[in-house]
Amino acid sequence: MENRAKNIIGKLDVPLLVLFLALVIAGLLTVYSASYSEESPQIYSLDKAYGKQLVWIIISLLIGVLILTLEGAFIRDSAYVVYGVVTIMLLIVLFMPAIKGAHSWFKIGGFTIQPSEFAKFATSLAIAHFLSTTGVKIQETKTKLIVFFLIAVPGFFILQQPDPGTLLVFFSFIFVMYREGLSGNILLGMFFALIIGVMAIFFKASDANVNIFGWIFEANYLYLVVIVMASVLIHFGITYLVMPRYRGRKYLTNIVGGSLALLLVFSCNYAYDNVFKDRHRDRFEVMFGLKLDRKGVGYNSYQALSAIGSGGPAGKGYFKGTLSNDKYKHVPEQSTDFIFCSWAEEWGFLGSFLLIILYTAFLIRIIMVAERQKSKFTRIFGYCAASILFFHYMINIAMVIGLAPVIGIPLPFFSKGGSAILGFSIMIFILLRMDSERKDVLR
Amino acid sequence: MDSFQHRRWIIILTMLFVTLVFGVRLLYVQVLNNDWKNRAEQITHHKVTIHPARGLLYDRNGELLVAVNQVYDILVTPKDVKGIDTVEFCSLFKISKTEFLQKIENASTGYNVSYKASTFIESMSKEEYSRVVPYLKSFNGFDSKRRTNRGYPNGVAAHVLGYVRKISAEQYSKDQKEGEKYYNQNDYVGVTGLEKVYEKELRGERGSAFFLRDYAGNDKTNLEQNYAISGKNLYTSIDLKLQSYGERLMKNKLGSIVAIEPSTGEILSLISAPSFDPNKLSGREFSENYKELLNNDTLKPIINRPIYNANYRPGSIFKLVQALIAMQEGVIKQSTGFACNKSLINCHNHEHPSNVQIAIKHSCNPYFYHVYKRLIQRGDQSSIFKDSRLGIEKWNAAVKTFGLGVKLNTDIPGVKVGRIPDANYYDNEFPSKSNPYGKHRWAFSTIYSNSIGEGEIGVSPLQMANLAAIIANRGYYYTPHLVKKIGKDGSKRPEYLKKNYAMAAAEYFEPVINAMEMVVENGTARNAQIDSIIVCGKTGTVQNETFNDHSVFIAFAPKENPQIAIAVYVEYGTWGGIWAAKIASLMIEKYLAKELSENAKNKEKQVLDAIILDKHSDFK
Repeated sequence: MENRAKNIIGKLDVPLLVLFLALVIAGLLTVYSASYSEESPQIYSLDKAYGKQLVWIIISLLIGVLILTLEGAFIRDSAYVVYGVVTIMLLIVLFMPAIKGAHSWFKIGGFTIQPSEFAKFATSLAIAHFLSTTGVKIQETKTKLIVFFLIAVPGFFILQQPDPGTLLVFFSFIFVMYREGLSGNILLGMFFALIIGVMAIFFKASDANVNIFGWIFEANYLYLVVIVMASVLIHFGITYLVMPRYRGRKYLTNIVGGSLALLLVFSCNYAYDNVFKDRHRDRFEVMFGLKLDRKGVGYNSYQALSAIGSGGPAGKGYFKGTLSNDKYKHVPEQSTDFIFCSWAEEWGFLGSFLLIILYTAFLIRIIMVAERQKSKFTRIFGYCAASILFFHYMINIAMVIGLAPVIGIPLPFFSKGGSAILGFSIMIFILLRMDSERKDVLR
Repeated sequence: MDSFQHRRWIIILTMLFVTLVFGVRLLYVQVLNNDWKNRAEQITHHKVTIHPARGLLYDRNGELLVAVNQVYDILVTPKDVKGIDTVEFCSLFKISKTEFLQKIENASTGYNVSYKASTFIESMSKEEYSRVVPYLKSFNGFDSKRRTNRGYPNGVAAHVLGYVRKISAEQYSKDQKEGEKYYNQNDYVGVTGLEKVYEKELRGERGSAFFLRDYAGNDKTNLEQNYAISGKNLYTSIDLKLQSYGERLMKNKLGSIVAIEPSTGEILSLISAPSFDPNKLSGREFSENYKELLNNDTLKPIINRPIYNANYRPGSIFKLVQALIAMQEGVIKQSTGFACNKSLINCHNHEHPSNVQIAIKHSCNPYFYHVYKRLIQRGDQSSIFKDSRLGIEKWNAAVKTFGLGVKLNTDIPGVKVGRIPDANYYDNEFPSKSNPYGKHRWAFSTIYSNSIGEGEIGVSPLQMANLAAIIANRGYYYTPHLVKKIGKDGSKRPEYLKKNYAMAAAEYFEPVINAMEMVVENGTARNAQIDSIIVCGKTGTVQNETFNDHSVFIAFAPKENPQIAIAVYVEYGTWGGIWAAKIASLMIEKYLAKELSENAKNKEKQVLDAIILDKHSDFK
């Protein structure tokens, strides 16, 4: 037994483990500073956020060690069971009393449990299990539908809580699908759709007019014309100059693509006028920098950027922040969604740059670990973990530094929240465990 | 075995790209651009102004003249005013709905903003406040603040003390443009009286403190502290008891009393009647009260008569000055006599004025006609026109040494010069500026009315009281002033320690003073007699074309080592001996003897009962 434990520890991926622990410790220290209260100064004060966070980290590490003792095969075989249990939890939690207007939590004693955090690794397990099953080919429509179904069931329940931020994270599985062979055009198409959509809303929100020889056009309609002209030009360029051989097929693709783009722009315009409420419109305007709103919807963003900016190149020093902590509370949610402000204020540009480098290194290490697997299950699971963490990282930081509208989504290992840290830790420990077996098992 | 292996690079590149974008953005926000640092400072830094306590004013015996009152301002934050019962609110605060809406509007425009508290109702008294405070909590967006205000425990000396008001827009912009840039728009400043003259000493120096504040605006950490320096207290020369007594005596009368301590020039009381309670100009009814005082009262109580009314002719009192100048200049001797020739100028029947003393005692008009003629036409020039010009210039210079026709540098705003005419005046301004006599077109015969204090002479009651002090001092005066000490261990302004000499030598004052003693003993001012004290005085009657004559009296007492010099004006009080002399003697007795004699009590009753003019008098 002892031998076996030594065996496992010896085979763990040290860089991944070190990066993981570095993020967890930095996160705990930031929560401590961000929610520090003079009434209970000790970091282990259980009535404070940092005390609870410490307890959750210890629980997470204990469960992590437990996971390391499991057989890889057992984890793989339990994938659907775990998925099933978590999905049932997601169903039951809808009947729990609402906290802050959402039915997202089980309340047990002083601790709350958020099953949607577990849905992230559970769904990853299920997808990895399904896609690694012999004979399943991602190019088949049936496969795509089943994967969609595996994501949609927990996604649907999460939307009912409602928790759109977490739902957004489930879109990250597109990266996994892409890696496993989903047509790049779909990813590219989604990317273009995102660009076109954002630009459409930008033109719509900016309410700009363009004057051409005395004719006044609304910028968003001019934008439509530009898209049509661009697609016609691309069509001619490709069909007559580059590859005449594909004339017929590209002709069709171009017409369909152009039409879809136009449809998207029209829907964005329509949605902007008829579906969005004023508060949504305000958020877009603030995000695009069309207005600097420091009191209304732009308040969070304004306060957050002020805190980050005030950190300067080298920061104010640990515990020396004057905006994003419990004493001053100028930044709302300073220990959860906006915790990056605390870090950036205290450690300045050097610290915040170090943190994003650390995150990126961590994500890349996960991908490297995933890529060296012989087991398809482990590789897919590794990509799931990387994609989910990447989405969290990208959306959270972009929101905090004013590059995306405010979306409630935590920064993994930093934001206060027990279920999140437990969920992410389980994900990493499963990966560590599976990776440690990579030479033993051929699958 | 895996044809999609290369796709890992696409995913890794995407991650690196995102991180690169974040890095650039962070570099911009944290290092390159300073806007967010400044915004952060706006959010966290809070400067608090510490207002110093304004100095208090005491009388010469240490009695409080100006104290502080606790008052309460009701504040409103318009943004937070939600769901309140306007009808209930308006009836509680006793305002109309339109007023309510107007005040809310005012609180969110101009330099008031809707998310900050600004004044809704100013200076509520403790009683009013305790009536509304139980309900205040139930109106969202309303709050209250305690503040100190000027309070006047005795309600006297309104004209001397002046009042304090929130700085006016004009004064504020003037201070910002050419002044010292001291004031804020919500500061209070002294507007008149001692409050204005000693504004700098009274206001003290503001302090400030810098705090780091939290999201709710609470000051959490003190970064810097500059303490405020309290304003200095003023120890005035006013005798509170004498001042109050004088104001009581002047009820239902129009006029002035000025009492001076001759040995120092300190003003013991400065009374302008009718007066008003200074508390009226402190507190929330200021505007209404001020309008009432300024416009709706025919007697114009807002005017500070003893210093501002400098166009009173001195009447017979001026004969004292004429006698002193003539003796000093050598145009007459103490023993010079003139016949009382009523064809020159009218007079009453009295003994022959065989010397200066008798002439003053009987206030003989023809005698002073001769005296003045000798002063104006001295025979230096053969032409009487040229001679008169020379004479009046000498005479003018001599009179001015008595503090007449010059601006006394008393520490109160609005002191007027009055007028002692000179050659230029008759050349260019008399009888009117548009049609003057012109140079060498006038002579003594034109201006002889000056000889008996009529004519073109104008003096203020303050100048008359100062004249009494000069005679009491036998030839010199200190500029009359109101403040003995600035601050507990301070001193008075240095210019008030300087002796000013009248041109007449001390020896010439003796016949004048003896005559003044006789005036009270058995002359025109027997009303001014006091059993135990020798009073020296002189009556005057200022002729008035439209209504009764003004009653004027100056005096000092005791004769040797005088303690008090006084001038009393009772406008339209007819002959000088009646009211002015009685009031002056009561003031002197009150000051010197503290207790009034039986005789004086009768006099006091007469004075108090006399209604010469009241608020509703109709006169031009």
